[in-house]
Amino acid sequence: MESASIASDLAHEEHHGPPAPNVSSRVEAQFLGMLLFIISEIMLFGAFFTAYFFIRVVAGDEWFPIAGISLPKAVAGVNTAILISSSFTMHWALEGARNENRNALRVGLLTTTLLGLTFLAVQVNEYVHIGFSPQDHAQGTIFYGLTGLHGCHVFIGLTLLTFATIRAFRGHFTAKEHRGVEVPGIYWHFVDVMWIFVYSTVYLL
Amino acid sequence: MLNPLRSEQEAFRFLLYVAAVAAVVVGLVLLIRAL
Repeated sequence: MESASIASDLAHEEHHGPPAPNVSSRVEAQFLGMLLFIISEIMLFGAFFTAYFFIRVVAGDEWFPIAGISLPKAVAGVNTAILISSSFTMHWALEGARNENRNALRVGLLTTTLLGLTFLAVQVNEYVHIGFSPQDHAQGTIFYGLTGLHGCHVFIGLTLLTFATIRAFRGHFTAKEHRGVEVPGIYWHFVDVMWIFVYSTVYLL
Repeated sequence: MLNPLRSEQEAFRFLLYVAAVAAVVVGLVLLIRAL
């Protein structure tokens, strides 16, 4: 009787707070969250691309150059190369984490963050010098809408990368536990994939 | 099957495939327009 009471007390002491949640999914909660987030993001970009295709395909309106103003394809092309190369450094950082190479992890994350910042700086510079504003015409609205939406995602990705970089320099992440780099990495590659669509459709085609 | 949302490695590989396919499609469209 006494031992049952002691066991009950021990069990009571070990368990605090609400009961553990039921895990019914085979996917980890952190990955599932990012997965659902990215799916919702694809739908958001889809809505903007619908507006773009409506103007060009359904309405058949002209695309740039408009009133003698062209889109800076070459500058955006260099910016595309910068963003794509940041995915390579991101992948390098993750490989560093997987192989317990802390220097590769740190330098990879820092380089990715700096390349992302460079991309944003070039885009802001492009906005300043492009010569039209969102309210000038529907094409301008779509241009700023699509590139601005993407720029916001780069900013979110940079925020995640900054957290991961600070944690890497503080000695976090191991070969087994590096979810804090992997999830931002998936997001960063998603942002780059979206830019490939934006650059191809808005600037090149 | 490749699932870019499962791991960073797969997401990176997906990015490379998208870049390659986009380069081919854009190249073809620009070539057809030029003809």
